[in-house]
Amino acid sequence: MRDEAVRAIGLALTVCGFAGIVWVYAHQPQTLAEATGALSATVGVYRIDDQSFSDGLRFFRGDEFAAARLAFERADAAHQDPRTQFYIAYSYYREGWGRLYVDKDLFARGLDAVNRAIAAAPNGRVIVEDPTLQMRSGDELKAELQSGLQGRTDINPLTIVRRQRK
Amino acid sequence: MSRTLEVFSVPLMFLAVTLLGGLRIADRVLFVRPPLSALVLAVLLVIALVRCGALAPERLMHPARSPLQNASGAAVLTTMFAATVQAFNSVMPEFGLPRLIVLVFLFVLLLNTIAAATDRTHVLRSTAVIFGSMFVLKFIVLAALSDPAGGWLKRVLLATLEAVTLGTLTQKPLAPSTGYVAFCALALYVAGLALLPRRLAGRGSALLTVER
Repeated sequence: MRDEAVRAIGLALTVCGFAGIVWVYAHQPQTLAEATGALSATVGVYRIDDQSFSDGLRFFRGDEFAAARLAFERADAAHQDPRTQFYIAYSYYREGWGRLYVDKDLFARGLDAVNRAIAAAPNGRVIVEDPTLQMRSGDELKAELQSGLQGRTDINPLTIVRRQRK
Repeated sequence: MSRTLEVFSVPLMFLAVTLLGGLRIADRVLFVRPPLSALVLAVLLVIALVRCGALAPERLMHPARSPLQNASGAAVLTTMFAATVQAFNSVMPEFGLPRLIVLVFLFVLLLNTIAAATDRTHVLRSTAVIFGSMFVLKFIVLAALSDPAGGWLKRVLLATLEAVTLGTLTQKPLAPSTGYVAFCALALYVAGLALLPRRLAGRGSALLTVER
């Protein structure tokens, strides 16, 4: 092979490798599925598993939150779909909310999920048109989760006056 | 330096080091971006390598070479610098007193290496020793100190040390696989340095070339 061709191939490989490393450090993928999903989302070809999403939605509406999250995770293994991440965050919110306490661990996970939803949404705007939900935007859900995390302890009798936003 | 080494082997080795140098495996996988101090230390090490002749940039980039040859030479230099940064990122303790001590120690050591201007073999050997000892410090000594498991004697000793160092000694525990990955990255890095084009005998230091 000619010298120019070999050098051009080597250079292209190096540039692509370097760009890939910069991308990995910027996006911090946790699994191979996340890495491939984020790459396909970058080029606009990412699709979730609709069947799993429907299963998740059914479980969510039946208050089976753990099962709903499993189905949502299967639907959006790469964590790139804002709507699915929004429902995951909502499931953590509903499961973690109590009349006299909040489960801060679940709320923190919910906050992570809603942050992922906001990060994946165009212009960071997450709107889910679901009439069964009281909160339909990522901002509302995030604010609610953050306010739940602000208390010093999980148990707070003063929260008895607060209502859960179903 | 053969064409295959210059175009494929060396850049890809350095790219692998660049990728793996910041990898930390704990409860989740993290790719830690290099701190500014790693960049400063990398610049010092590259200067030391050029001064001792372990790296001859003029053999990679030169007016007599074609633009494509110069571009692949630039790729070798760029990936080498990135790998150097990440090699330091890999062995530096994450925070606290150990990080400060290691930073000052490496800074002084590299300045001394530059001032001494020893030969290629000595600087390469010294580089391997620097990274080896930092690896042992971070992944064996500090990891053992930061391990939450252990008997009461260890806990008492650790509590005493923590009190003396104002709680800045222990590091965030990492999975053992992080150490294995760092070891492979450092071995690749040192091997890559040994493959770089050296200064040919009879030529002056690249940084001190005097036109006659």
